[in-house]
Amino acid sequence: MVTKTANGGVPVRALQARARLFDPNDKRYIGILFITPVQLLLITMLIFPFGLEFFVALTEWQPTYGTSIWHAVGTVFSGDTELGLNYYYLVTDEPRFLEALGRTLAISVLSLCLEFVIGLGLATIFLKTFWGKRIWFTALLTPMMIMPVVVGYTWFMLFQYSGPVNQVLGWIGGTSAGADLQWLNNGVLAFFAVVITEVWHWTPLFFLILLSGLNAVPENPVRAATVLGASNWRIFWTVIMPNMRGVIIIAFVIRGMEVIKLFDEIYILTRGGPGTATETMSLYLYKLGFQDFRLAYAGSAGFIVLVITVVMINMMLKPIRYELLEKR
Amino acid sequence: MGARKFGPGSAIGLAFGLLFAVFPLFWMVSTSFKPSNEWVTTPPVWVSENGTVTNYLVILWPSVLLEQRGGLGQYTEEGEVTAQRATESDAVSGAVADFLTKSAWQSIRGSIIISVLSTMLSIVVGFMAAIAIARYRFGGNVTPFFILSGRMFPPIAIAIPFVVMFSAPGIEATDSYWGLILAYAAVTVPFSTWMLKSFIDELPQEIEEAAMMDGMSRWEAHIKVTVPLIKGGLIATSLFIFILNWSEFLFALVLTYTNVETIPVKLSKYFSATSGQQYGIQAALACVSIVPLVIVGFFIQRHLVRGLTLGAIKR
Repeated sequence: MVTKTANGGVPVRALQARARLFDPNDKRYIGILFITPVQLLLITMLIFPFGLEFFVALTEWQPTYGTSIWHAVGTVFSGDTELGLNYYYLVTDEPRFLEALGRTLAISVLSLCLEFVIGLGLATIFLKTFWGKRIWFTALLTPMMIMPVVVGYTWFMLFQYSGPVNQVLGWIGGTSAGADLQWLNNGVLAFFAVVITEVWHWTPLFFLILLSGLNAVPENPVRAATVLGASNWRIFWTVIMPNMRGVIIIAFVIRGMEVIKLFDEIYILTRGGPGTATETMSLYLYKLGFQDFRLAYAGSAGFIVLVITVVMINMMLKPIRYELLEKR
Repeated sequence: MGARKFGPGSAIGLAFGLLFAVFPLFWMVSTSFKPSNEWVTTPPVWVSENGTVTNYLVILWPSVLLEQRGGLGQYTEEGEVTAQRATESDAVSGAVADFLTKSAWQSIRGSIIISVLSTMLSIVVGFMAAIAIARYRFGGNVTPFFILSGRMFPPIAIAIPFVVMFSAPGIEATDSYWGLILAYAAVTVPFSTWMLKSFIDELPQEIEEAAMMDGMSRWEAHIKVTVPLIKGGLIATSLFIFILNWSEFLFALVLTYTNVETIPVKLSKYFSATSGQQYGIQAALACVSIVPLVIVGFFIQRHLVRGLTLGAIKR
């Protein structure tokens, strides 16, 4: 029998919010539920390994010692070994480490500047209208889509002593014999070979970012400046560049974040050689960890690099932090 | 900005840019069709006159090669064999024997399995995180940047603890698919989170709220309303993450030995003691491996810049 009540006979208890202990639909919990998977993934795959590495890096453990990793971690707490010696040696006794740091920085700065200049030049060309614009645009973007190993391998072929780079340089010099440059066996040339490879690979990204920045520059100030008789050069520096500030910072930060990790191309091109002429941070750590098997030592070097990069990137991110988060 | 004239200076600049961008690709494709005696010559051969698909056969269908040659011994094309050529052909056939036991299929299969599964994992996890950040502002400004920090440090710095952790007794994930899949997902999840967040931010929140008013739960609203509405963004993000996973080299290099192999690692291993660098064969595998990348890349060209700038630049 249906009782006639205001709510059409539904039992009152069903309408009352049930006081459940945990409701996955509650606005208070749903954020946590949605964020949990990513936190779990990052905790197991980033925080935990780094925690493990932190303890191992304090010891002098090597896989070749034959003792287990858990035993090595145990010695940290039992006080059987002198801790933290790795860091001491790295800073005082290991010029290779500091050299690799400096070299990484040099490669990064040099290639980012080159990428910026070339990218900006190409982007200004693409503001104009001309035949086949879409095709050329796509062709220019292609290098960016190719995987780093293939990029490294392609340039490895090009930089061979009897390769096309030397041949073309020979033509420019007016001989048919080809230039006499040992691109990958000469320290200085190998350094530039790495920079050229990096520039080839990532100039398209600068080009793309800068082009979208140039397209977003408002037209009216430019027109006004033209009417007032400013030169193109002047317009570029005083009207267009200030408008591009955010975009340029984003381009440098994003690329900076990636270029300091540079590994794949160099591994294929020179393996850090000749000697240590192209040994970047990543290459150095790789050699320490996986050729010398000094995992604890490499781990402590990795920690120094980690701190440096995170601090540096956060400093670079500061000006665009809110631009990134801003809801648009 | 006003359209200025496309003068001769621009034309020269564009021509140089295009030449610089396209020439290395041309060289790789050209090398992949060169027979072994043209791999290293002085002066280099630009376009081979007796082009061959042998390099592709070596990596893809070695059995066809075997039948054609009637054995391992006759790899070179020419009937007349000079003394110098003979040693070379011996070396190459030795290399062929290596490859016959191990063509590129293992690495292609490995690459596909690992890239696809880790992309799926990364997208699912990243989508949930993106909802929490974009819709519930979870963790304010801290959580998004905590997630981003996964992308900041050099992968080698994390690869060292990975090797320690994966080989530790009790975990033993080295040389296994799931170890690599988890590792790849962990380093690509910052990209998927931030890219999907930028797509969700573009979608008005009112649409989901309307769905909730009509009786959907929050979970239903996000899954049945948000997902279909950002379908394009989801596909673009998936393809973008796929590119990243497909190209990943370092983790695959240090975390695999014989059981699992990916294309980039295979590519770096085509180097045999008897015959040195296998230029043509490497070029052929390189060409095969970039085909999906270039297709996918052109497909999501519009979204590429958004992905690479973590959603900071929208077009």
